[in-house]
Amino acid sequence: MAETSPKIKIMAGAAPDLSAATFQIFDESHTIGNALRWMIMKNPKVEFCGYSVPHPSENLIQLRIQMYDGLSSLNALLEALTNLDAVCETVEHKYHASLATNDYERWEERS
Amino acid sequence: MQTYEDNEPIVRIRDYKPDRVDFVLENVDLAFANSFRRVVQADIPTIAVDMVEVEANTTVLPDEFIAHRIGMVPLVSANCDEGIRYTRDCLCLSGCQYCSIELRLDVSCNDNRTMDVTSNHLEVIPPTYTDGETPGDELTKRGEDFGQPVGKNKADVPPVLICKIRKGQELKLRCVAKKGIAKEHAKWSPCSAVAFEYDPYNKLRHTTYWHETDPRTEWPVGENAKEEEAPRDDEVFDFNAKPRKFYFDVETDGSLGPQEVIMKGLAELQTKLANLILGLKEGVDLPTGGDAAEAGVNGHVSAGGWAPQAGGGGWGQNAASGAGYASPAGGGGWSTSGGSGGWGTTSPAQNTGGNTGAWTTSPAQNAGGAPNTTWGTSPAQAWGASSPNAGSGSGWGTSTQQGWGSPTQQASGWNL
Repeated sequence: MAETSPKIKIMAGAAPDLSAATFQIFDESHTIGNALRWMIMKNPKVEFCGYSVPHPSENLIQLRIQMYDGLSSLNALLEALTNLDAVCETVEHKYHASLATNDYERWEERS
Repeated sequence: MQTYEDNEPIVRIRDYKPDRVDFVLENVDLAFANSFRRVVQADIPTIAVDMVEVEANTTVLPDEFIAHRIGMVPLVSANCDEGIRYTRDCLCLSGCQYCSIELRLDVSCNDNRTMDVTSNHLEVIPPTYTDGETPGDELTKRGEDFGQPVGKNKADVPPVLICKIRKGQELKLRCVAKKGIAKEHAKWSPCSAVAFEYDPYNKLRHTTYWHETDPRTEWPVGENAKEEEAPRDDEVFDFNAKPRKFYFDVETDGSLGPQEVIMKGLAELQTKLANLILGLKEGVDLPTGGDAAEAGVNGHVSAGGWAPQAGGGGWGQNAASGAGYASPAGGGGWSTSGGSGGWGTTSPAQNTGGNTGAWTTSPAQNAGGAPNTTWGTSPAQAWGASSPNAGSGSGWGTSTQQGWGSPTQQASGWNL
């Protein structure tokens, strides 16, 4: 593929060691932004995390991460993404489990 | 202290019907529950009529009025992930059997009474193949009534009324249904409603009730309140409390079943995360420009580690380095817990004057060396002083030869 626009980029003004950086994530909204911010904030090594949708007609979010001890914010971001993925997985498992245990009216679902 | 965050999420299905599922989601954060709600409502693809060609319309309703009404008719979209493409991803110019479904409607009234034109009059035109051609991949994955209006000709499902016509009036048109998501137009939403509630007693005070004298008598609590303990009269406000129990009722319009909606919703959420991870793997662009001081600070960054344009050892992106992002081979991937300092692989510390000794002695940076898991942890090594020699490829090209035993790694673009 030729030139495709990046999904994510680091905005100007990031610390050289990336201990504090603002990521610009394209084609995403509150759907990912808020959940991701929450997951990043759960990391005790994170000093600050916040996100915003700078303008409603621009389809992008900005995610600010600041780390303690000069740790890398990119690491924290990746970790949060994997964890959030794991949450989805768990909910799916639990949903299936709940569906299996209880006795509901059954019917054929076409899919 | 044991908080809900230490527990695993719980899903409890309370009601499960052909068109809806009612469940309680516990031990997740409000942010996640809300993400799930948003994704179920707006990001799951279905098919809906997107284009209408009117051949004859002598009804009392104008063309665009009818076109809009037809667009809102739910069409059976089960397995439309595999059964149909987006037109924008298709090879055709404006719609073909792989990315669209054609429906026709041809009704005229000859009786002396008012006649209803309903979704039952919409006929799907089956895709036609020229001789010898086998149906493509997509077509075989479609269900039997894929694209049909929901509940067509089923006695227990009342059809959707499109228009009423009298004697002598006619409505004849051709519709093209396409795949889309509700972010673009609500007609593509598989859900007619998603109920989402937490904290039925408003203990968290996330809302304030308008009232005349007493909110408790004027605002009756809902069904979900039975799941929770009513607040005592003398209960003090716990400002640290967080919502932990979310009541969902996902009601679909029939285009997808509730099971498929939930599963697709979670999958869609995961896809979004995966896309982000992929975007990170491919490399993050460092901003260009900025003031001079900053450029000085960042200068070595773009010269070395992870800025893709730097060539050598952009993390994960530099295929030549033989070390992908997840590869334990070291030598450049930044998650490679192996040595060579992840991001810092080609970083200035190594560049500094091509001084082999300087960095081979440092265990964290040895090729395949010590398990330096967090590549950002040693900024001194990774981001050390930007050396004027950084640009001189030969300078540290030789150093790599000495410092890095592996020929693949030295071929990998240190010399770039």
